[in-house]
Amino acid sequence: MSISKRFAELEHIRSALNEADADPGRIVMERMLSATEAEIAGRRTILAGTNNYLGLTFEPGILEASHQALREQGSGTTGSRMANGSFASHVALERSFAEFYEVPAAMIFSTGYQANLGILTGLLRAGDKVVIDAHSHASIYDGCRLSGADFFPFRHNDPEDLRKRLRRLGDDARGALVVTEGLYSMLGDIAPLAELLEVTEEFGAYLMVDEAHSLGVYGEQGRGVAEAAGILDRVDFITGTFSKSLGSMGGFCVSRHEQLNLLRYGSRPYIFTASSSPANIAAAHWALDHVRSHPELREKLWSNVAQLYSGLKDLGFRLGSAPSPVVAVRVDSHDEAARIWNELLASGVYVNLVVPPASPDGASLLRCSVSAGHSPEQIETIVAAFGEAISRTAFAGACCSG
Amino acid sequence: MSTEARDQYQEILQGLYTLLARFPTGNVELKEQTDLVADMGLDSINVMELLQEIEDRFDIIVPLNVMSDIRTVQDLAIQVQRLLGENS
Repeated sequence: MSISKRFAELEHIRSALNEADADPGRIVMERMLSATEAEIAGRRTILAGTNNYLGLTFEPGILEASHQALREQGSGTTGSRMANGSFASHVALERSFAEFYEVPAAMIFSTGYQANLGILTGLLRAGDKVVIDAHSHASIYDGCRLSGADFFPFRHNDPEDLRKRLRRLGDDARGALVVTEGLYSMLGDIAPLAELLEVTEEFGAYLMVDEAHSLGVYGEQGRGVAEAAGILDRVDFITGTFSKSLGSMGGFCVSRHEQLNLLRYGSRPYIFTASSSPANIAAAHWALDHVRSHPELREKLWSNVAQLYSGLKDLGFRLGSAPSPVVAVRVDSHDEAARIWNELLASGVYVNLVVPPASPDGASLLRCSVSAGHSPEQIETIVAAFGEAISRTAFAGACCSG
Repeated sequence: MSTEARDQYQEILQGLYTLLARFPTGNVELKEQTDLVADMGLDSINVMELLQEIEDRFDIIVPLNVMSDIRTVQDLAIQVQRLLGENS
């Protein structure tokens, strides 16, 4: 395909989004007012689509930690850890992650996307086998592709289908890698990790779990869905991000295998990129400590989840899953989703508009991410805005049961 | 190609036609040279579903990475036959 054809193809996508008045890329937060509010198009808007699950981005402690790191360590690292050296703050954060998960090894990456890319390309070689949940994030698909391994999707959250696929791999199943997520970011459903682990162990394969959306949210200590499922010590690799509940930017992997550290010598997304800035590292480290010492944040989050979920359900909306910090409202068509999304913005509520191919099963979704930073009044406003949007839309009733 | 291999190929082709007929074909006549995306308009979600149905029907496992080299029904049939050969 020539570049001009590629431009034409992308222009087609942009025009289609513009015509439907549904281009999420046009949203600009002109001024941040707090972790849960910003000005968009001059309007004070409640943010319910930021993945800021614990609402830590404006906490005085996180800001002070970042400021101090800026003053003491400078604005950037200007290089990669392998080529230009690590800062003590990178090493200290890795140590904290290893302690938090009670494992011998932790590695940090410059983004969550790169964590998955770095682990998959570091672990896998051409001809290796990796079996991934069909709803996996793009970073997992891309990591598999870049590794050159043979990769096979299994039906979403279906341990029996995983078993079938591992069986078909024959002898190659032993030592293969199985990849799943904790909380799925679009529909807000969680993986049956105990069952998936049982199948993985039955075949002698390894299990990797991406807890990007579940760190700080699930489990007694906030270590994710694997902790909540009681299997934390049996998962081989856990990846995640700093850019959601930790309110910063970066990614990590922890492992019960000390050999994870060997990937520093063979993971290109780790080696050939600048390490995270001191301010990002300091913010993530402060947030990680805060997650460990403030379980009440999770209680606040789950109370907000219950309020939003029941409010939307009472209005008759069809929701993507059981209650979770991702509350996805299903609507019947792309046009209807765009119409409601614009109505919500006009009433000062920002959620995510998700349409195929970004949605996992062809659904059109209005995806809300709940934050511990939301007040009960803000949640009430979000629910009311949904109610008004649906009563004004020409498609009223098409999205709702009853 | 031996007669046996030719028969097996034809059998695979017929099986694929049956599976493909369940997808929105835009009234495209299914033949070996039918392009799965350009002619049939299959999107990435359709391709994933198709893969899973092929795997169940032939009891094989198809790496998603080989799909980027597959354009036509014939390409798909050849790939299925190759994977069946690996399994036997």
